Amino acid sequence: MVTLTIDGKEVTVPQGTTILEAAKSVDIRIPTLCYHERLNPIGSCRMCVVEIDGFGHPMAACTTPVEDGIEVTTNSDRLTRIRQDSLKLILVNHPLDCPICDKGGECLLQDLVYEHGIDKVEYTAAKVDRDSLYATPLIRYWPDRCIMCLRCVTACQEIKGIGAISIEGDGYGAQVVAVDPEICQSCGECLQVCPTGALTADLSRYRGRTWLIDRVPTTCTYCGCGCQLELNVQNNQVIAVTTKDGVGVNQGSLCVKGRFGYEFINSDDRLKTPMIKQNGEFQEASWDEALSLVAEKFSAIKAEHGGGAIGGLTSARCSNEENYLFQKFMRAAIGTNNVDHCARL
Amino acid sequence: MAEILFSSWGGEVVDNRDKEGQDLEPVNSVELPEYFRQDEAVKALMGWYGLVIRDPETDVVDLSRVYMKEIQEKSCGKCFLCRIGTRVMAETLERICQGQGKPQDLEVLGRLAESIQESSKCNIGQSGPVPILHALEHFAEKFEAAINDKKAVPAGSYHSKLTAPCMDACPIHLDIPTYVECIKEGRFQDSLDVIREKLPLPGVVGRVCVRPCEEHCRRMNLDAPISIKFLKRFVADYELGKGKEPEFEIEPSEKTGKVAIVGAGPSGVTCAYHLARKGHDVTVYERFDEPGGMSAMGIPDYRLPRPILREEVDRIERMGVKFNYETVVGKDIKLSQLEADNDAVFIAIGAHLGTTMGVEGEEENYDGYISGVQYLLDINQGRDPYPAGKKVVVVGGGNVAIDCVRCSFRVDKPDVNLVYRRTKNEMPADHVEIHDAEEEKVNFHYLTHPVKIIAENGKVVGLECVRMELGEADESGRRRPVAVEGSEFVIDCDIVVPAIGQTMDLSLLEGREDVKTTRWKTIVVDELTKQSDEPKIFSGGDCETGPGALITACAGGRTAAFSIDKMINGRSLEYSEDDYFDKFFKKVKVYDQSEDIGFLGGRERKELEMLDPDTRKFTNDEVEQGFSIQDAMAEADRCLRCYRVATVKV
Ligand SMILES: Cc1cc2nc3c(=O)[nH]c(=O)nc-3n(C[C@H](O)[C@H](O)[C@H](O)COP(=O)(O)OP(=O)(O)OC[C@H]3O[C@@H](n4cnc5c(N)ncnc54)[C@H](O)[C@@H]3O)c2cc1C
Ligand code: SF4
Ligand code: SF4
Ligand code: SF4
Ligand code: SF4
Ligand code: FES
Repeated sequence: MVTLTIDGKEVTVPQGTTILEAAKSVDIRIPTLCYHERLNPIGSCRMCVVEIDGFGHPMAACTTPVEDGIEVTTNSDRLTRIRQDSLKLILVNHPLDCPICDKGGECLLQDLVYEHGIDKVEYTAAKVDRDSLYATPLIRYWPDRCIMCLRCVTACQEIKGIGAISIEGDGYGAQVVAVDPEICQSCGECLQVCPTGALTADLSRYRGRTWLIDRVPTTCTYCGCGCQLELNVQNNQVIAVTTKDGVGVNQGSLCVKGRFGYEFINSDDRLKTPMIKQNGEFQEASWDEALSLVAEKFSAIKAEHGGGAIGGLTSARCSNEENYLFQKFMRAAIGTNNVDHCARL
Repeated sequence: MAEILFSSWGGEVVDNRDKEGQDLEPVNSVELPEYFRQDEAVKALMGWYGLVIRDPETDVVDLSRVYMKEIQEKSCGKCFLCRIGTRVMAETLERICQGQGKPQDLEVLGRLAESIQESSKCNIGQSGPVPILHALEHFAEKFEAAINDKKAVPAGSYHSKLTAPCMDACPIHLDIPTYVECIKEGRFQDSLDVIREKLPLPGVVGRVCVRPCEEHCRRMNLDAPISIKFLKRFVADYELGKGKEPEFEIEPSEKTGKVAIVGAGPSGVTCAYHLARKGHDVTVYERFDEPGGMSAMGIPDYRLPRPILREEVDRIERMGVKFNYETVVGKDIKLSQLEADNDAVFIAIGAHLGTTMGVEGEEENYDGYISGVQYLLDINQGRDPYPAGKKVVVVGGGNVAIDCVRCSFRVDKPDVNLVYRRTKNEMPADHVEIHDAEEEKVNFHYLTHPVKIIAENGKVVGLECVRMELGEADESGRRRPVAVEGSEFVIDCDIVVPAIGQTMDLSLLEGREDVKTTRWKTIVVDELTKQSDEPKIFSGGDCETGPGALITACAGGRTAAFSIDKMINGRSLEYSEDDYFDKFFKKVKVYDQSEDIGFLGGRERKELEMLDPDTRKFTNDEVEQGFSIQDAMAEADRCLRCYRVATVKV
């Protein structure tokens, strides 16, 4: 264990802990922008700089492991100047299009600019023209809004192990580029970690404001993994799917279906009642009608050919309990052991 | 040397602007070369450590503009302040130089420079604004004048270069900060690509390099150098483990030709690789039946497993390079024949003859007297050099001597001694190697010098030695050992192995007065082009430099390949800007051991796991086990990315 002080408070943490984590453990907040709990520290934003007594150079708290006996200061005029300069420099390029940004209201950049009271930017440079091509059409890349924090690139590489996007170019012209769109799985990991509105879900564009949305926690129904997600609902319409970092088995990740495959919910083509085919045409029916018909047919087959003639296939999209009931029904009511499950195939 | 008008290099401010004659202060922190090229006097330097001005006509504002533009172009874009801040600074300076400066510009420059320098992620941003801050402090009136005059500042002529301490120290100038950063980011294949841009043998060099880079690693000022060598090995092993075949890009030059290479050692093989990448038709002639030269025949398998070497050379063969083994140039085929059949010949025959110790009995050819190179060659070919012998004395203090003693255990010689005339401190061998030999229980006899080989019936039975003590320092700074009179004693032994140096076998040059050699029997070529006086003949590696290191030999091969390519394409072999910067940085040191970086250090360097000394000393299995992925990434994360830029006004 290592003991240090942060803003005069004594902290004891295991070796290898970063200054940022140590501060967090005693509720001292150091502003961060590129840091994301699920990623190795990136160190691009320099918002988390702190001073360490006896060392001339400020250090990034997110990338610096603690040392025994150090005295850390998280706030000073110098640190404020650096943080303000970091934000001001972003604003040299970042448009103030918050009114039409889908991220408005829960954008980390917005919050930090507000917190640091940036009311003017005295720095200027010619704006860069960047490509807006992205790895997947499901995600829209707004290059002007991109602050190059590199969370997206890191997430695609570290969490997904894919590397469909990367940074290209040097200096001011450096940009996030879809280096290998072929391998992109449209999982939206990048979208999930982006702290700004530089990556937005294209299906959700201009469909709701973050502060008017109800986030309804639920379990993804696509497969047996049981990923936790939130349906973003406004005016009784699902307009997006989001996740909470660190929640559920998926810890915030989803696959393309879980993250983007929600349009069926509000689709006009969606079946809402059972249908029975009559004279070659499907007709709407009540549940009672439908179930009676099925029961009648099963009984007839069973009477003629025996229960063994019937097999049942259940689904990974059902819960454990439902799957249990299904096999119970097949064995006890239908009288067959021919039960299987799609996940086994 | 023409005096310096102003210097802020390394924080030492010398201001001679209003001084004359006696009052002129000397500059201690840097030695600014007088010339860049022969005809270009160095007028000023702006770089990571400050600003040095010799010529009073130097326009500091224009120098700042050019330097800052260079910094911006070299910024990688991975942190905010450097990526955008240096651009704001560069554009501001550009504007001032165009006569469109504004009064508030200086404040903006000063504030930004400070923030960028204090908080950027790597040394481009941390060192980039340093000289600008110095310029703003000491030449404020020049900037103010440029802004107030509203006139364009005339543009001067400059040379700029990006370097890093480790990169500059590496003889082949591998882009270490980038390949290490790729590992940190988990992009192992990209890392290999960066290495292979220059070096085709990452698995070999990643195991046995003498690593001058690590001796110049800036992280040493905080705790310990980055494990640059083993990170290279890690990526090479990673690829091999995945069974991946690298894709070498072949971009044929406009004109391609035929080239013969003599010697399939590291130098020859590297030359072949670069020529093949440029589409030339390359044939390598090699005396032995396998490639690698001293890295196969000298360096023992427990340090460098042969399959690693073979695979890396096989890949070059698959690029289309032909290898003719068991062909001695000078005997089986004449050098003149190669010259006649080819557009160029690269001679890389290494240094394979053992030097003698000059002691009594050496000329007698006793059984049990075996030169170090021969001793290792036998062992590497799976033979016991002298089965009758069991007690070995190796003479010498270099890496070859250490290899000889450590190998001895592995051919069942239980009693192994090393005789060296100075102390452990002066030993030129790698300290890690010395430590490993100690662990394996070699008997070290320091301050001991051989005087006579004692033999009976034509067989070695002992080595008479004399004790030494250290006297005055010689020109190399090492204290010269002197014999203690009357201290003679005999070490009983039946094998004596002199491993005090090698020299060149130049028989292939017999009758060729046009190709000059030195009195140390090295081949004379231009230091930077590797061309000999005979335009078609080039040479590099140990036979050019004298026995040296693998990476130096590879660097020579690479340089020669570029020269040969130029020659075939009818271009002159003029030195490039990079070559002149190489010379420049010999004076303006890129690494400063005494720099106080001001960072919190203390992050432990990851070490490799080793086989236990008692097991390893008897086997030829590789002693050092490579990094795990996790350790490699953690080690790479320690790198400070010490890139820095120098702009020279000429
Ligand atoms: C025992 C030992 C240990 C060493 N350990 C290290 C180490 O740990 N790290 C390190 O960096 N360096 C080490 N070195 C040095 C390193 O091996 C050499 O600097 C390097 O191999 C030189 O490469 P080269 O291509 O110039 O010559 P060589 O490797 O010597 O290759 C020359 C080749 O030319 C061939 N040849 C010679 N004459 C002819 C001819 N007439 N016709 C055809 N072929 C010919 C030879 O057979 C040989 O294959 C060691 C050297 C020795 C001897
Ligand atoms: S959608 Fe997934 S795979 Fe595609 S770029 Fe984003 S993180 Fe990478
Ligand atoms: S797209 Fe988002 S996550 Fe990616 S670099 Fe830009 S701002 Fe950061
Ligand atoms: S070069 Fe270094 S300081 Fe500049 S943007 Fe890249 S990481 Fe930051
Ligand atoms: S810390 Fe990294 S960039 Fe700096 S000298 Fe060492 S290896 Fe090179
Ligand atoms: S949060 Fe530490 S550098 Fe961005």
